[in-house]
Amino acid sequence: MKEPSTVKGLEYWRWQEYHRVMPNKKWTNKDIITAGVDVGSVGSKAAIMINGEAYSWGITRTGSNSPESAIKALDYALEGTGLKVGDLKYIVGTGYGRVNVPMANKAITEIACHAKGANYIWGPSVRTVLDVGGQDIKAIRIDETGRVVSFLMNDKCAAGTGRGMEVFADLLQIPIEEIGDISLKVEKEPEPVSCTCVAFAKTEAMGLLRKGWSREKVLAAYTRAMAVRMANLINRVGLERELVITGGQSKNKGIVTRIETILGVKTLPSPNWREANSLDPMVAGAFGAALFAKALYDKAQKA
Amino acid sequence: MTNETVGKRYMPEISRREIDELKSTMKAASQKVMAENIERMKKADPKRPQAMKYFDEISNLFGKRQEEIQAEKEKGKKVIGYMCLFAPTELILAADAIPVRVNSGWYDTSKLGDRVVPVEVCPVIRSTIGAKMIELSPFLEQSDALISVLTCDGMTKLGEILSDYKTIWGMNVPRIKDSAHSLRFWNDEIKQMKTQIEQFTGNKITRKNLKEAIEMSHRATKAFRRLQELRKGSPVIMGRDAMLVNQTFLWDDKQRWTEKTEALCDELEKRAQRKDWVCSPDTPRVMITGTPMFWPDNWKLPTLVEEANPQGIIVADELCSGERILNDPVGVDEWSMDDMLNAIGERYLMASTCPCFTSKDGNEDRINWLLNKVKDWNVQGVIYYVVRGCMLYAMEYTRVKKALDKINIPVYYLDTEYTREDVGQMKTRVEAFLEMLTARVDI
Repeated sequence: MKEPSTVKGLEYWRWQEYHRVMPNKKWTNKDIITAGVDVGSVGSKAAIMINGEAYSWGITRTGSNSPESAIKALDYALEGTGLKVGDLKYIVGTGYGRVNVPMANKAITEIACHAKGANYIWGPSVRTVLDVGGQDIKAIRIDETGRVVSFLMNDKCAAGTGRGMEVFADLLQIPIEEIGDISLKVEKEPEPVSCTCVAFAKTEAMGLLRKGWSREKVLAAYTRAMAVRMANLINRVGLERELVITGGQSKNKGIVTRIETILGVKTLPSPNWREANSLDPMVAGAFGAALFAKALYDKAQKA
Repeated sequence: MTNETVGKRYMPEISRREIDELKSTMKAASQKVMAENIERMKKADPKRPQAMKYFDEISNLFGKRQEEIQAEKEKGKKVIGYMCLFAPTELILAADAIPVRVNSGWYDTSKLGDRVVPVEVCPVIRSTIGAKMIELSPFLEQSDALISVLTCDGMTKLGEILSDYKTIWGMNVPRIKDSAHSLRFWNDEIKQMKTQIEQFTGNKITRKNLKEAIEMSHRATKAFRRLQELRKGSPVIMGRDAMLVNQTFLWDDKQRWTEKTEALCDELEKRAQRKDWVCSPDTPRVMITGTPMFWPDNWKLPTLVEEANPQGIIVADELCSGERILNDPVGVDEWSMDDMLNAIGERYLMASTCPCFTSKDGNEDRINWLLNKVKDWNVQGVIYYVVRGCMLYAMEYTRVKKALDKINIPVYYLDTEYTREDVGQMKTRVEAFLEMLTARVDI
């Protein structure tokens, strides 16, 4: 897909790349330090864990080259920790670019990793995970240990995904991080756009704007359509509480609120990633990968 | 230049030049795909049985078998093609004609088929239409007549569309099979087909010839069953290899195929005795069911499963392009002409698990067969494979899933198209399913 254009020097689609080191956590040479690197189609996430506990992570935009993106994300996660790649005992790669993570000892699908990561972030009560990635949506049923019981994935188009949202942020000239709140600023929820295909929805949205619809209303109509699509996927896999949302779209209040309304179920509250000691559901896949890395390292030690 | 499309009811105008150009490009691409598939299959099993060499050779659609059939044709033999497994091949063999199945597995030709029917139509159909447009399929081109069995909507119209080029014999299959009335009706269709084949080939189907043909297919079924039996234990053959063996039956010489399959089984038995497995015995055992999968392009799913990380092994399938081909023998009581014809009728109708059937219990035969296969082949997970536009298989999924849920066997619905574009996404799905089956990464 084409890179979004910049409007008046503003890149509305651009979301915040950041890294975090959990305060009050220190590592020693005795610790088992592992990493998970989740190279998604839009964002690359790397997480470092000390003895299976989240320590640091970094989120960056995925470039055209998967191995480079993986290295960039991992370097970002290592920043300010005093750790080097060589200190990492085991690294698991995940995401669509999982086979292209040069330093990974093993690749595991993002489906298994998001399941495990959701279990880590929210605990054993989670039974259904909706992972909204850059290019696909997955509805995953898990057990109390975070193991995948069944899953569904949308087909190959980008409808209802992070990438689609970026396209819309650009079209409507609304910064992507405000898109959720703004989509909720409508008095009455409009009918969803009729087509979830990004290309067609874009055309439809332009038509609505010309008809005099406000940007908020157009955005609400698009977000609604996406949320319906996601809710359908959850219903098809079979909704069992608790429900959580991972991936970049977990930060989109417009999506989360609407899914809750459509399904009639509250999701478990997401940690506020802006707080200094808080986890980030966008990194769930990388957390899961780092946990698998720890388990695989332990297993190798025993063998 | 002659206008090829004069009088055509479906097929578009396409110049000889375009036909030749497209054919040569797609043939070259297909040869590459076949060679690559075989290479990957060899790589998957470094100790691949010697006997596979033969099947590799015969799987070349533009090779030895095409030449053999051509030589037979020049000597006056007729070739009778068919699109559905219901075509009574024993009758074709008894009339000294050559049966070949002509469904297309080429991805590229499905795009050509789009010129005739909308993209919503099943790609197996579109691709076969496209293959005919550019004369790509040797076996379809060599067919002097085609048996078109009216099973699904796509197959029903495919025959009609191909009648722009070929003599088509329709066979009307009853959709409710478990009634005496249906069987009588179908047996009449079989008898009519016998007459048609006799008239067309000029060869009378005698009691003796038909008995020989039935006995030939008994021997083939025996070899086939022996091969499937060997897949019940720890894996001695990659699923893809076994699937290729089964599929080559559709165009190979039946006698020779049987001998080569028996030879393969001899090798595999020795391998089993040596406990020389093709992959670790705890590799998840997968069964595939759903839309038929045709060589060479549509080898996508078997390849993904067996090259996945974690790896899976296909131990069984319930496909009309696979184990349904030879599973059921013609059960003859007395070798009278009538009895043989009735037995052929019964074998093709009653034994079929095609989703075109329903009854007061729905397509129960398919459910039962699936459940038995899961048990007998110790299947740990089922991939329900459907191409977009394949309505009947798509619609039966819910029921199959419920039946498998009951016995606690995970099933994954994998929908795709005749395209290579979704390989990456399919890989994630397949690998996540296999991870689920192995569940070997514990915390």
